[in-house]
Amino acid sequence: MLDVWIDSIISGILLGLVYGLAAIGLSLIWGVMKVINLSHGAFIALGMFTAYFLFAFGLNPYLGVPIIFALGIILGIAVYFVALHRIIDAPELSTLLSTFSISLFIIGLGTFVWTTIPYAIDIHVGSISIGNITILGTKVIAGIVSIILTILLYIFLYRTKTGKAVRAVSMNRVAAELMGINTTRILALSFGIGIALAMTAGALIATIFPFTILSGGVYELKSFVICVLGGLGSPIGALVGGLILGIIENVITLQIPTGLVPFIEFTILVAVLLIKPSGLLGGEV
Amino acid sequence: MILKVENITKRFGGLVAVNNVSFEVNEKEILGIIGPNGAGKTTLFNVISGIYKPEKGKVIFDGKDITGLPPFKIARLGIARTHQIVKPLNELTVKENVMVGACFGREYLDLDSAEKVAEDVLKFVGLYEKADLLAGKLNVPEKKRLELARALASKPKLILLDEVLAGLNPVEVMEMVEVIKKIRESGVTILMIEHLMHAIMQISDRIIVLDYGQKIAEGKPEDVANDPKVIEAYLGDPELVLKLTKR
Repeated sequence: MLDVWIDSIISGILLGLVYGLAAIGLSLIWGVMKVINLSHGAFIALGMFTAYFLFAFGLNPYLGVPIIFALGIILGIAVYFVALHRIIDAPELSTLLSTFSISLFIIGLGTFVWTTIPYAIDIHVGSISIGNITILGTKVIAGIVSIILTILLYIFLYRTKTGKAVRAVSMNRVAAELMGINTTRILALSFGIGIALAMTAGALIATIFPFTILSGGVYELKSFVICVLGGLGSPIGALVGGLILGIIENVITLQIPTGLVPFIEFTILVAVLLIKPSGLLGGEV
Repeated sequence: MILKVENITKRFGGLVAVNNVSFEVNEKEILGIIGPNGAGKTTLFNVISGIYKPEKGKVIFDGKDITGLPPFKIARLGIARTHQIVKPLNELTVKENVMVGACFGREYLDLDSAEKVAEDVLKFVGLYEKADLLAGKLNVPEKKRLELARALASKPKLILLDEVLAGLNPVEVMEMVEVIKKIRESGVTILMIEHLMHAIMQISDRIIVLDYGQKIAEGKPEDVANDPKVIEAYLGDPELVLKLTKR
């Protein structure tokens, strides 16, 4: 019985890291742009399909991560200029509706092209066994890739000049612009990175679970719960939130039906909002 | 002449916030802008620094027409500013705040050089001991110094100071006035808005007076102070003022 628990916890940690990656994207977009990105799930699903087609063309999805990330940045920047740039100073409802319409657009098109039949990436990278515990290799790699990307993001945000500009814009856009920062470029880049993180997380999830174009929604909701857990706008908080959610999700399904997982997640969401709205790791709001 | 403002008009709906204002700023000069509340002083700053596009008129900086350029480009050309309501980047340290100014200012420095500049500037404004504190933790006079440091770190040719003396006690005002004088000595031109009369009269080479968006007077501080139009703008009826001052 103990083995089952350890197995679940390890799976939870690895999956949690991937969920955390998607949530960091959401958190970054909110933190820098004050945009609630309702198209996050759609881009997660798009990342899943990108990984699927790269794999179908013979490219290992893990080696494809840089390509998917780059594609995400380009798509994100394009979407920023098409759908967000002109309303970035409008009240949050406008950008929220705009990202929602992007989501509808992607999912509508995706449903038309790929229907809603489940797809799966049939990749085998073996597994790791310690005693009675066996962890799938795909989960291990997904977890490691997520950690690497999070570290890279941290180096970018805290050790580079452009990263400094991103943080300055997140704190005060007007002051940043007056200090000589091209805030339009920073906003576009931030949205690009946020989308790239979503798509990469999607690609990693696609190597573990089967998916449809509608699957993104589930992970988008997880991202929101994670962001609230970790405190919106804090990347490390999002990662920790992801770990917590991943572990909870894997451990409770030992005892209760999987169908109740969203219910539990939303109970956590409501509880955190009631008790500590700034998030478990969040500072002052 | 480093800055030339020509017939600037800025409207907000039916309200004419700045009405056909023209003036010039000479190199290494301190030009004060005064006027009652709502006279359009800050709006004028916002037009110069690119936050607002004027409906009419031109802003020429260093021989170049900068009207309608985005604020970040104007900042990189060498116009820095401070704000009446301070805008520090609260979750960065004091030094990091100043580094942002240096990184993206006129010299567009890399992080290492920016750090050196930041340290120098913080010593200059007397905030060096607080360098590693989060900017949000500073008190108001310190935040004003931080704004000044951030502006200076961008190595501007012209600095726009929006009420840097407001909210300071007399000792702090004196210290700040000294800092402003030192800035001018270092070769930076200063355009400043100020409500604190004795300070701005003492420090400025020339003064312009705005009222209801219009320039009503321009000249040496002592001339402006005795101009009946200026007295009327501030106190209402000039004859009454004369009576009161005679008594």
